[in-house]
Amino acid sequence: MNLKEIKDLIELVSDKGFAEFEIERQGFRLRISRFRESQPQIVHPASAPIIFSSGIPGTPELLSSGAQRALRPAEETPAANQVTGAQKSAVKEQPAPDSETQVIKSPIVGTFYRASSPASEPFVKIGDHVEPDSVVCIIEAMKLMNEIQAEMSGEIVRVLVENGQPVEYGQPLFGIKT
Amino acid sequence: MFKKILIANRGEIATRIIWACKELGVRTVAVHSESDRDSLHVRFADEAICIGPSPSAKSYLNIPAVISAAEIANVDAIHPGYGFLAENAYFAEVCEACNIKFIGPSAATIQLMGDKAEARAAMKSIGVPITPGFDGVIEDEEEGARAAGAIGYPVIIKAVAGGGGRGMRIVRNREEFIASLPGAQHEAQQAFGNSAVYIEKYIETARHIEIQVLGDQHGNVVHLGERECSIQRRHQKLVEESPSPALTPELRRSMGEIAVRACAEIGYVNAGTMEFLLDEDKNFYFMEMNTRIQVEHPVTEFVTNTDLVREQILVAAGERLEFDQDDIIFNGHAIECRINAESPVTHAPSPGLITALNLPGGPGVRVDTSAYPGWFVPPHYDSLIAKLIVHHRTRDMAIARMRRALEAFIVEGIETSVSLHQRILAEPDFEAGNFSTRFMERFNKAQDRSKRNPQHAAQGAGE
Repeated sequence: MNLKEIKDLIELVSDKGFAEFEIERQGFRLRISRFRESQPQIVHPASAPIIFSSGIPGTPELLSSGAQRALRPAEETPAANQVTGAQKSAVKEQPAPDSETQVIKSPIVGTFYRASSPASEPFVKIGDHVEPDSVVCIIEAMKLMNEIQAEMSGEIVRVLVENGQPVEYGQPLFGIKT
Repeated sequence: MFKKILIANRGEIATRIIWACKELGVRTVAVHSESDRDSLHVRFADEAICIGPSPSAKSYLNIPAVISAAEIANVDAIHPGYGFLAENAYFAEVCEACNIKFIGPSAATIQLMGDKAEARAAMKSIGVPITPGFDGVIEDEEEGARAAGAIGYPVIIKAVAGGGGRGMRIVRNREEFIASLPGAQHEAQQAFGNSAVYIEKYIETARHIEIQVLGDQHGNVVHLGERECSIQRRHQKLVEESPSPALTPELRRSMGEIAVRACAEIGYVNAGTMEFLLDEDKNFYFMEMNTRIQVEHPVTEFVTNTDLVREQILVAAGERLEFDQDDIIFNGHAIECRINAESPVTHAPSPGLITALNLPGGPGVRVDTSAYPGWFVPPHYDSLIAKLIVHHRTRDMAIARMRRALEAFIVEGIETSVSLHQRILAEPDFEAGNFSTRFMERFNKAQDRSKRNPQHAAQGAGE
């Protein structure tokens, strides 16, 4: 499919008022989605500082500003470079690593959304079963809404981030029982 | 003034940038790969975001990831450091499009100076002396061989999109030219994604002298003197110093004035470095311009009592330069050794866990480093782990200071180039300030000879 064909398709989708359009050919899949608003809704926790938690044990714990920082990270400390009271509890909820529980991690940096638009239902809820190609969330990066797939089969047992929360590469998003 | 800056880099320069930001009261955001999670710059940044796995292409060079991090952290500006995206005109454009200030010159300037053949042509048209060469890209070997003959052998084939000493071939006659051209083009394609090459006269015995420049957004441009960078192995600098033992005050003034005029002509903003070759007759020729802060900037900072990274941030924020050319006073002598995590003999990289680290201190000693005891030096990136810089009133005193600083620079757990630097500093030719870019070639030959004939070791590398 060349650029002209893609442009024509986009016009078609626009003109006919389709919400979503997907086409698959050998080795190629194109999906065009239109949102109701012209700009994507971005929900920023207005006054709360940005939190980036990796959820990986052993990463450095931020001490209060001005204090000295340890060179070596303490073992088993909760991962956060900056936390406020409300989000600290979210960070502490790590999935208990056992043989059945895995974690779906973010493959990109961006803002996490549970649903395709503020008015839509979340893609997945706790208890839902997912397949590898199930869309579990959207991560918005540079105004592009990226649909994130589970990449494994299982049951969603935990939601580890909040709607509108900025996430980093590798950040745990969902606990999944495979 | 910016409220928040994202540092799109790692290692010692990322830490360096954070120091300048802290002194200006600017919040910092570090981006890092997975293997740099325990980095020193991550610890000292106010916020940190993991942007990808270890390979640079997926992390530090990953423009969407860097920009996405900048957006979610809501930064005002990005400092690209050196290497990585620092001279990526497209990245500078993307920053601009996303309303994030790129701390450096404009995308157009980066583009112009990044194309080495275009840069030469631009400098030539301004009246900056350039090495005799063929204007333009070499399209075919016959045309190239004719041009090379007209310039006069030996000639050097260079990649248009290259830099940092990579993708260069020296040829001494027509047969060698014809034989080397396809290889040089292939290497250029592999390394820089662009097979275009150009040719210059190769000056056998020359010094690499670079001029530090700084321009603001209001048209003010100054130079901060030269750095002598002839001590290079395969075009990678090992030891740098300022001032150069080869420059007279008149020569410094000439080169500085030309650099400033060239910057004014092209509208250069922020920090940059003009590289020149100085031949044995003290003629200087423009080689290339680096549109970024350089590794060896501390040498200039010591001699001129400035903070170049701070100046970069202020300039980018729209401030006027606080000083003009007359305010810049050159004081004393500074030397820098680039300490790499590598074998001092084979130069093979030596990643691994640093189990002990002692850094020299005392008067006139500065260490810019990302190393700390317990840090695992990752294998994925370049091997520079520290810069050791000293300053003293005279060159001899600076050399003595560097020697005692190197003696106190102790790293255990990995190999470093410290003992190589000690041997370089002990060379009579280095002490005498009598060297060209062929210094390391001669040094290595002498080292090999003394290994084979230990009784001749005392003779040194003098040739």
